[in-house]
Amino acid sequence: MKHSSPAPKLLIIAAALFVFSTCTSIDTSSSQPNIILTDALDRDVTLEDPARRIISLAASNTEIIFAVGAGKYLVGRDEYSDYPPAALSITSIGSLYPKVNAEAVVALEPDLVLAAAITNPKDVTALSDLGLTVFTTGLAVTLDDIYTDIIAIGILTGQETNAKTLVNDMQERIRAVTDATSHVDKHPRIFYEIDASDPTKPWTPGPGSLIDTIIGLVGGSNIGAARTDPYWQISLEQLIHEDPEVVLLGSSTFGGQTPDLVAQRPGWDSLLAVKRGTVYVFDDNLISRPGPRVAEGLELLAHLIHPDKFK
Amino acid sequence: MMHRRPPIPLFIVMLGAFVVATILGVTIGTVDIPSRAVLELLAARLPLLHLDLPYPDKFATILFEIRLPRVGLMAITGATLAAAGTTYQGLFRNPLADPYLVGIASGAGLGATLVLSSRVYETSIGLQAVPLGAFVGGILTVAIVIISARVGSSTPITTVLLSGVAIGSFASAFTTFWMLRSPDGLWRAFNWMLGGYAGGGWTPIMIVLPYLIVGYVILQLNARSLNVLQLGEEQAQQLGIRIERTKFTLIAAATLMTAAAVSFGGLIGFVGLIVPHVIRILAGPDYRTLVPLSVLGGATFLMFCDLAARTLLAPQEIPVGVITALAGTPFFIFLLRRLKRSVF
Repeated sequence: MKHSSPAPKLLIIAAALFVFSTCTSIDTSSSQPNIILTDALDRDVTLEDPARRIISLAASNTEIIFAVGAGKYLVGRDEYSDYPPAALSITSIGSLYPKVNAEAVVALEPDLVLAAAITNPKDVTALSDLGLTVFTTGLAVTLDDIYTDIIAIGILTGQETNAKTLVNDMQERIRAVTDATSHVDKHPRIFYEIDASDPTKPWTPGPGSLIDTIIGLVGGSNIGAARTDPYWQISLEQLIHEDPEVVLLGSSTFGGQTPDLVAQRPGWDSLLAVKRGTVYVFDDNLISRPGPRVAEGLELLAHLIHPDKFK
Repeated sequence: MMHRRPPIPLFIVMLGAFVVATILGVTIGTVDIPSRAVLELLAARLPLLHLDLPYPDKFATILFEIRLPRVGLMAITGATLAAAGTTYQGLFRNPLADPYLVGIASGAGLGATLVLSSRVYETSIGLQAVPLGAFVGGILTVAIVIISARVGSSTPITTVLLSGVAIGSFASAFTTFWMLRSPDGLWRAFNWMLGGYAGGGWTPIMIVLPYLIVGYVILQLNARSLNVLQLGEEQAQQLGIRIERTKFTLIAAATLMTAAAVSFGGLIGFVGLIVPHVIRILAGPDYRTLVPLSVLGGATFLMFCDLAARTLLAPQEIPVGVITALAGTPFFIFLLRRLKRSVF
């Protein structure tokens, strides 16, 4: 991946190369006052004290920072960090594309820059070369990946106890759902639509994506699992052939898609989900951002897929 | 090298290729529908025939609402681009001319990008607004190019080319600026440029087909003028061609055709550049045969490319523009090497 590209998909693929190195090692020896963590890019990141001037370059990490109670230490964020609402009042350093505005980052004098899998590794290098401390979270494919990120951010911000509590809460909420969905005898066919700019070949998540993992956890059968790519464009022919029982419009979040619009698309009215009225608007940010709201997303998804299991 | 008689055998061979491409395009797809089922489903649509067929409903949906309109749109788009390319090459007497020469691509790209990154896109008319934006953007850009290229009462080809390059670069730069300014629309705009947003169904065909038919008739009527123009503008004028009027008519027809084609098909490259050359190599330089054969060749070529685009990585789709470049260029180089003679 020598060429940098503005396409987020490429960055995600690039970051996937690091997926096996995301295990964050935690230094526990008490004689060492510094915080030393290995990040997803396999870099040892050292902080003398917990971070107090943080810049977040990813919406997921911004949500985690607030959820572990470190929001007050956030001095900068990227343009996409829009949740919780309090994040919007924090200075934005702009978009990550085509590259991170290093001047804007340096100007805020951060003691920690939190990058993510979607950050171009070149930006991480560039910011590190400027003498900044950069920690990169990994590509989250499983829930454990998210928990790892939360604990790491907790340690870096001195909120480890909060982070552990948050993880426990999430695990409990999720277990309550999966206990109900793990023994279902039917796994409805699910089509999750990320983008339908071209409704003859909409983008859908496949294996290696967090959304695919979550659909599997709540007892759904993801139609996007037909290929090995984490994100791909399925042909409408194939979709009609697979005939999903539930259609989830993540494309409602950025593309304004609605069940009515879906029913009007040529050919789509033949889908079982359209006939049954099981096409649903779904807040894509809940399950595409590897952050604390994944628990909520998973609950909502489970209710839509197995309405009989939840009253 | 003027052919006295139209090359009938070549026409028959190409018509055969067109029919083969149509049949393959309709029978082969991501989903396996037996060719017998395809035939029977088509027959069932004929008036007076009432067949009760044992096939699942989804076969009919796939065939009539996805595959047929798609094959049709590809044929129309390819035909239109190739005809426009032939016209531009003849008009500008330049082998590098293609339908996008005078700024239509960058203009259409700008129009589509503006719509894709605006709030309009997130409303119910969003998808229809994208082709409209591209169409208007393309036409406006060409109009600006032609107006700014006028010198006195004439429009010299050289100034058209120069202002085309300049204004095209401006529109492309502005597109890039706009994409970076509103990153939400960035990858959608990128996607559109690679393969358009046909959206499926018969509407795009109903909209683009009239442009092809009317444009084709205009080009065919002016084919003799194009032949005479090859002698140079002064010579043509002496031979009784009303240069300025002919130029205006041809540019207007080719521009409207291209704008209609790209508004749904996206900026598909190489069809409008290479197909006219291949036809010229095979049929000679007479525009009276070049124009109809380009229409046929462009349609056939793009149908084959689309077939590859949806089967190579099925069920994943590849933008057809990628295939036209990958498949078209080697074939063109092969022809060029085999027939080492001047084709222009």
